[in-house]
Amino acid sequence: MFEETEGAVYGYRCTACNELHYPKHQVCRACAGREFEEFPLEGEATLVTWTKLYNLPEGYMKPYLYFGIVAYGNGIRAAGQLEVSSPRLGMKVATTTGLVKEGGKDDVIGLIYR
Amino acid sequence: MREVGIVGIGHTKFGRSKTGYIEMACAAALEALDDAGVKPLAGHGIDQVLLATMGASMINHQSSVASALVDTLNLRPAMAETVENGPASGASAIKMGYSLIASGMADTVLVIGAEMMRVVSGWEGTDFVATMLHPEAEYDLGLTLPALAGMFTRLVMDSYGVTERDLALVAVKNHQNALANPVAHIRLVPDLHAISEDEDKDAVNPYVAEPLRLYDVCPVSDGAAAVLLCALDVAERFPKKPIRIAGIGQATDTHTIAEREVPTDLYAVREAARQAYRMSGLCPDDIDVAELHDAFLILEIVESEEVGFFKRGEGHLAVREGKTSLGGQIPINTSGGLKAKGHPLGATGVSQTVEIVKQLRGEAQGRQVTDAQRGLLVNFGGFGNNVVALILEKEA
Repeated sequence: MFEETEGAVYGYRCTACNELHYPKHQVCRACAGREFEEFPLEGEATLVTWTKLYNLPEGYMKPYLYFGIVAYGNGIRAAGQLEVSSPRLGMKVATTTGLVKEGGKDDVIGLIYR
Repeated sequence: MREVGIVGIGHTKFGRSKTGYIEMACAAALEALDDAGVKPLAGHGIDQVLLATMGASMINHQSSVASALVDTLNLRPAMAETVENGPASGASAIKMGYSLIASGMADTVLVIGAEMMRVVSGWEGTDFVATMLHPEAEYDLGLTLPALAGMFTRLVMDSYGVTERDLALVAVKNHQNALANPVAHIRLVPDLHAISEDEDKDAVNPYVAEPLRLYDVCPVSDGAAAVLLCALDVAERFPKKPIRIAGIGQATDTHTIAEREVPTDLYAVREAARQAYRMSGLCPDDIDVAELHDAFLILEIVESEEVGFFKRGEGHLAVREGKTSLGGQIPINTSGGLKAKGHPLGATGVSQTVEIVKQLRGEAQGRQVTDAQRGLLVNFGGFGNNVVALILEKEA
């Protein structure tokens, strides 16, 4: 099911104090450090909330998309597209990445929770 | 520090403008100058013009618009700047005007908020507003403001028992208020049963971003509003008694909503209101009327809690009991709110201020709050990542 996964989306660990961030910040929220190392957002996460959006912005040739916010065990929370048949709060979802926006040479790869 | 008041107000009819951007902005400005008895001739006495807009450059392809306004309004050589702070641009510009006067840089500042959004398609408009979001972690995914509001609404519903009918009650209240506001964009009142309970409600009131429906979301509007600020020590120049700016607060929050520690909190609203109360020496019980930023109706409910009118999780109960209606404990959005009056982004904070001034002057015909002395407004930028709160007070 996840063979179509492409690329990766990264979180950022402060090299001074190990505080985790997503998305990237220029300054660590815990220690004001400025050096970070990347780690892939991967594995299982918990669905915190979701929506089914009907009015999509320019460039999407679909009638609707599902979106969700998830929480990882390490405390990171992230938004992504959602591809599950019956979303419900608290359910476990798997992190994948894939095409989230078609733009020809400007195709965007992003988080899709399945 | 000098004290600052409002001595002139102007407001175009919100909806679809029949004129160009500059002419629309000038219509509100001239109404405010007329209201203040200012003739835009040599010796006009206007020191500064601030224009609040989010989209003039992106949507209308016009930049440095404040300079153009000063010239066409015959207000040269007044200082001029354009202020962009997303949908909170309007109240931000008022805050900056206040600061200029309080510091002694200016005696009078004309603040104009103007947005013309209906010149582009709904798709383009949605995309333009979404450019406020985090570029990689939100916007690139296809997320929009309604999507964030839908996810926020689901969380609040799950946490506090808010129902779709509660949102419909807010919609009906605000549309009812707009009936008495001649500048409101939408002047009709939806049927509560039809939009919240009827078996055909999905056709009458379809989902926009579940669980948010059409009547839970503000319309896309063109419009402009203006206020003339002056130092209270020069207020005798103007015919109308000033409405004093008693408190100002502003706060920011995380850019992505996923990063917020408590996802149902609107921290920046709470902090901005706290600062405004502290500056004014007032508390929530002192406020007689409020304009809260209801771009999505769930926001009116949660903001009413964050500014201290009601306890956490009880804002929707207050709506059910009529506490936020005209004649209730704290009437909210007597103008019709963003929901029914409309939401031309950069104009909104100025428009909210105009409504509070009208209430405190006793000029809010048909929707007047009896003996209103003090009013609060909350102007909300992004999805709550930059919020400005103002408290206005009628001079004794």
